Amino acid sequence: MKITVCVGSSCHIKGSQQVVEGLQRLIAEHKVENKVELVGAFCMDQCQKGVCVTVDSDFYSVTPETVGSFFETEVMTKF
Amino acid sequence: MNDLCVDIGCKSINHHGEQLCGDHIDVVEQNENSTVIVLADGLGSGVKASILSTLTAKIISTMMAAGLPVDECVSTIAATLPVCSVRGVAYSTFTIIHIIDNETAEIIQYDNPQVIILRDGANYDYPRTEMNIDGKKIYKSEIRLQENDIFIAMSDGCPHAGIGLSYNFGWKREDIISYMEVMAMNGLTAKNLSTMLIDECNRLYGGEPGDDASACIVKIRKREPMNILFGPPANRDDDKRMMSLFFSKEGKHIVCGGATSSVVSKYLGKPVQPSLSYEKSDIPPMAKIEGVDLVTEGVITINKVVEYAKDYLSENELYEEWYLRHNGAALICKLLFEEATDINFFVGRAINPAHQNPNLPINFNIKMNLVEELSKCLREMGKRVKVSYF
Repeated sequence: MKITVCVGSSCHIKGSQQVVEGLQRLIAEHKVENKVELVGAFCMDQCQKGVCVTVDSDFYSVTPETVGSFFETEVMTKF
Repeated sequence: MNDLCVDIGCKSINHHGEQLCGDHIDVVEQNENSTVIVLADGLGSGVKASILSTLTAKIISTMMAAGLPVDECVSTIAATLPVCSVRGVAYSTFTIIHIIDNETAEIIQYDNPQVIILRDGANYDYPRTEMNIDGKKIYKSEIRLQENDIFIAMSDGCPHAGIGLSYNFGWKREDIISYMEVMAMNGLTAKNLSTMLIDECNRLYGGEPGDDASACIVKIRKREPMNILFGPPANRDDDKRMMSLFFSKEGKHIVCGGATSSVVSKYLGKPVQPSLSYEKSDIPPMAKIEGVDLVTEGVITINKVVEYAKDYLSENELYEEWYLRHNGAALICKLLFEEATDINFFVGRAINPAHQNPNLPINFNIKMNLVEELSKCLREMGKRVKVSYF
């Protein structure tokens, strides 16, 4: 599985750094490093919906507050 | 004509408790390739010294730049400077470094510590001719410039640093030379070299300088072009034109901005490979595109670069933040402030609708202001800057 987080200007201001750090922490806690690839993107052309995150080809709008529930419902359920 | 140019940087600290510096450094560009640099040290400290040194530096630099001979400058100063009521003399020492056609340096010295020249990183002893102008002993030298020559002009506050504290007789010339030889190995800019020298003086004075101390560094270097792309063009049809102009330029290429990177990636046919590494800073991560020397996020990164540029031109207290770090803003600073001498900005005026939200500090006007502020700062650093809008 590939999770992509946008680190462009808009998303950065909306907290992509915290989202990235949150995901890195959750991936380590759930010991799924071998199953999940976390990468950055520079712009997904959806700046209004930031922080832009994709899981494989599905698009999500995530905030630093919702990163926990996003991980539970959209990532952990897919293994 | 050759492809050499000068990088000039200065820093001063004031006598402890004084609000004004009694040293004054004046730099006047005579023409594109000739510059007059004057470092004057007024008698005493505080306001009186400041007036004496400012008058001296201004008079000499203006007259020299107008092509007048040095003896006329000296007699004009002698006739103009106000006489100190306490000491009964009008006195300000000075050092002149006159760069001619970026080929020769004429050094004229009156009573300041002797200018140090580092050539290929080591002290270079140069001949001096003694002249007598109006009873003043003035030393003149002519040096043929070579790449990497470093001229170090100081006021006597530098060799006096540490008297009675760290050293019995102050910071000796030989010791200043060995200190600067080590500093010069690191490829620092003139501004950072002068900062290193003056910061060390301040440390030797125990943070309470007993005299004004100033350093002016002139570094001879090759011209180095640099190109920076910021924002996609207002009209999408101009993408190709903007890209081909940008990539046809000589020198390194910096690309700033997410959407901008996409345009570049499409033009070059190479993917954008972003990293997720924040390098312990709040600057967004960088990316890689084959064929581009540096790819960073846009407006937040440039905003930080402008902040560093302003500091670099004033107190230069943040240089360690960018000199030692490895984030987008720090790397742009190194390329623009240190490496580049000629900078071409390619600025796209595309408006990103998502940025026009009043809650976001990154709207279009802010972006355009950043370009203006940055190019102004870079010009102040002595760089040739060209800005093209698309």
